[in-house]
Amino acid sequence: MPRRVLAASAVVIAAAIAVWFVTQSADESTQVRRRLDALCAAVNASTTDGRGPEARANEFATFFTDDVEIDLGSGALPIRGRATLTSMAERLQPRTAAFTLKFEDVTVAMGPGGTSADVHLTAEFLRRDLVSGGQSLDAREFTLGMHRGSEGWQIRRVAAVETLK
Amino acid sequence: MSLIRRLVFGENPRRTLTRVIVLAAISFITFRWVLVPIRTEGSSMLPTYETSRLNLVNRLAYLGGRPARQDVVAIQMAGPHVLYVKRVIGLPGERVSVVDGTVNINGMPLVEPYVRHRRPWQVDEVTLGPSEYFVIGDNRGMAAGDHDFGRVDRSRILGRVVF
Repeated sequence: MPRRVLAASAVVIAAAIAVWFVTQSADESTQVRRRLDALCAAVNASTTDGRGPEARANEFATFFTDDVEIDLGSGALPIRGRATLTSMAERLQPRTAAFTLKFEDVTVAMGPGGTSADVHLTAEFLRRDLVSGGQSLDAREFTLGMHRGSEGWQIRRVAAVETLK
Repeated sequence: MSLIRRLVFGENPRRTLTRVIVLAAISFITFRWVLVPIRTEGSSMLPTYETSRLNLVNRLAYLGGRPARQDVVAIQMAGPHVLYVKRVIGLPGERVSVVDGTVNINGMPLVEPYVRHRRPWQVDEVTLGPSEYFVIGDNRGMAAGDHDFGRVDRSRILGRVVF
């Protein structure tokens, strides 16, 4: 194959990759996904980095709107408001430190105007038994309502989906 | 051609390359859309399926038919990467209940040779819709509250678990 053709092909491929990268970065649904990845990273962050439970809980709270509503289903009482969530996160940190959160099969549907999004995902919880060292996996399906405000993308609504009714 | 080159590329490198590409394509298609490998986690399907074992889901199993009673099926949650593995015990239109650990279908007890231990689970009778199946794990020796089971829509059944 002539060198000129090879060089032209390389340029076209590089340009296509650049266009794909720029459009992906700018895409709002990608921003939503990144925000969810950041939430997982915040939940999974090591508890040995010197920060106290309050600082961690406050960082966790930034992922949610003031009027967030969380319905975990299965008879659990709904959690309403960021303040309630923050205090719960602070109190539950010794327990949450024992599990790792991961989101799988994330689908993002953007709302009109690009300031809201509906997310459908499966949350995987990998629990580490601190005594036996064993691990157990649990998974639950959720729908999330997200809103883009002055603080970026935040979760406004969380509802558990009953896969098996 | 040196011995090593002959061993790696064969007598005819072009033919070898074609074979490798065809084999890779067949493997990709098979293990992505036909026989999907899964790793089972958890104890709900004991003793039939142990935790951390590799199994395969036949996604084409129900192309020309419907799930049958006692089939072990993979049920998708938000997508195909995290699945429930459960056994079908109730078919569309049937009445299902669990009385003292025994499954009843339309009021008749179901024979389940795959269940080793039973706790006295109690589940009120439900009537399945036209596209609903009742699925449950084989491990009835655990507490009912720790076991995910119930009605599932046909659209969520990804395929039948094989091996």
